[in-house]
Amino acid sequence: MAPAPAQTLIELDDIAREYVVGGETVRALAGVTVHIAKGEWVAIIGQSGSGKSTLMNVIGCLDTPTSGSYRLNGKDVSRMSDDALADIRNREIGFIFQNFQLLPRETALANVELPLVYRGERAKARRERAIEALKKVKLEHRMLHKPTELSGGQRQRVAIARALAAEPSLLLADEPTGNLDSATGEEIVRLFEELHQQGHTIVLVTHEPKLAARCPRAVRLSDGKVVGDGPGAQVAYAEVHA
Amino acid sequence: MFRAFIDNLRLAAGTFIAHPLRTALTLLGIIIGVATVMTMMALLEGLRLKVNKDLSQLGANVFRVDKWPQGFRIGGGDRINWNKIAARPVLTLDDKRAIAEQCPSVKRTSASSWQPAQRVRTAMTETQANVFILGTTVEYPDTSGVVVATGRYFNEQEDLDGRQVAVLGPDVADKLFPSLDPLGQEVRLKGRPYTVVGVLERRGKVLGLFNLDNQVMVPMTTFLSLYGKRRTVSISVEAKSQEIFEPAMEEVSRLMRQRRKLAPDEDDNFEVSTNESMAKTLNDLSKVITAATFGVCLLSLLVGGIGILNIMLVSVSERTREIGVRKALGARRSRILWQFATEAVTLSLVGGLIGLGSGLGLAALGRWALGLHTAVPIWAAALSLAMSSGVGLVFGIYPAARAARLDPVEAMRSE
Repeated sequence: MAPAPAQTLIELDDIAREYVVGGETVRALAGVTVHIAKGEWVAIIGQSGSGKSTLMNVIGCLDTPTSGSYRLNGKDVSRMSDDALADIRNREIGFIFQNFQLLPRETALANVELPLVYRGERAKARRERAIEALKKVKLEHRMLHKPTELSGGQRQRVAIARALAAEPSLLLADEPTGNLDSATGEEIVRLFEELHQQGHTIVLVTHEPKLAARCPRAVRLSDGKVVGDGPGAQVAYAEVHA
Repeated sequence: MFRAFIDNLRLAAGTFIAHPLRTALTLLGIIIGVATVMTMMALLEGLRLKVNKDLSQLGANVFRVDKWPQGFRIGGGDRINWNKIAARPVLTLDDKRAIAEQCPSVKRTSASSWQPAQRVRTAMTETQANVFILGTTVEYPDTSGVVVATGRYFNEQEDLDGRQVAVLGPDVADKLFPSLDPLGQEVRLKGRPYTVVGVLERRGKVLGLFNLDNQVMVPMTTFLSLYGKRRTVSISVEAKSQEIFEPAMEEVSRLMRQRRKLAPDEDDNFEVSTNESMAKTLNDLSKVITAATFGVCLLSLLVGGIGILNIMLVSVSERTREIGVRKALGARRSRILWQFATEAVTLSLVGGLIGLGSGLGLAALGRWALGLHTAVPIWAAALSLAMSSGVGLVFGIYPAARAARLDPVEAMRSE
């Protein structure tokens, strides 16, 4: 399925985010403008302190910008209440975290069901959808195991299944290979490639130029500003030689 | 809404299963509080019902004339001048006869008098010095509700002659004649021999203290010659019917005042009391004790509640990351709030239920092993359950609110 570039999913316009730390104002984001279309796979790359984590929190509706506007799937989410943001996260965003963030006491299946629980779906329906998502990451045979009984790669696949189960408009991954060895990391990147081909919109936050180079498009951040936006390989090259 | 509640219950159950010891210890605080109050309530209510039943068995249309005030008083009122009461003239068998003969509304009268802490012997054995010796006239079974189980009560002639016959309470009979039919046997009181003519039916204890079965009844005349002729008697008066109960009391008062030549402005120098008035004092007393018990229960629930507060704070802080993940995945504040509030209320409600069960169990044990009378009022059971879950809610809401306010990004970063 080919992406439809005309449809914009993420419209970040002049986003600033300031924190007050010990009486001093720190600008984590200083006017970021990025537009991402549906079906795109975009890496956000930058060193620590570049503001990429803050940007990921804003894109993920975990944080709201101090100024600027953010439209996600046509809705202005930059001034929403806590509960409204929770609903947006639940419906629009599938999170994939560096350290997986699975609930250790629950089975893989229950973990994957979690976003559907907060959508108020019936137990039977959410079970079916969770199993389907686990099939997509080829883990249905391990679905009754707890995270502690799974390998790192398997855990991240459970997390990806959890993100997929809710059928969000955006998959938002934060250093998804950061806690994995290179072989397992490669497995996960391949999975992302597959998902991209299936038409999912993916935003991947990373500090690794190698990973960014695999993405069709990358946005490079430095000191809270966009300093590069283009094909992944090109932007990654700039990051390495910065 | 309902689905969310079921999910919250499932999560709470999961937490309890993951931390069995911690859960049990927290429960214990609530269990002890509720079990204590249920046991106390069961005993008090059982006692109250038993006493009311005992008093009603004494005959519905019976009132008493005494030298001394009956029962006990609660709260204010005039102070009793005991010296003045001690100086009152004694009531005599002549008074008893006069009431029976001269009051038209009176059906019959009986007289009784008692001596506590006596030892009863046989040739073989003896009781402790704790037996009540009761001297009565022959009408006593009709006005008091005592029933002869085997044998008979003594008769008019035996009373007139001051014959040495006795009717034993079941405890005395069991003690002195464990393997023998007591009827026709001889018992000794203050060295004099008495022939057993009857054994009373078992009646139990009043207020859990005074044992109605550890008594020996002898004819009034016999009793007075044994323990002193100048002592006062207590007169039980039965009205002819419920309708003329009040007139009967007035007739008796008037007659007694007349016999004692009291001037119109003088107070009665005798007491007329009904079983209802005794029942009322007892019920008043039990209300005070009930309120006090609930007060104590509230305190112990408070302690249990602090246990819940503590454990919920621990639960929230060690699950900070989990809360962050849940919020990131779309859990609203209220959902997190109710997740933890449900956990706290479930904990205290389960504690309340176990406490209720243990309280009922203890009450049943008391009934079975100690022969106590117990009854659990439904309102007390409902109130303690409501109180324990209320405690869970009150002490669980603060930790739950803390959990609900957590920032997902910060929370997910915690370890």
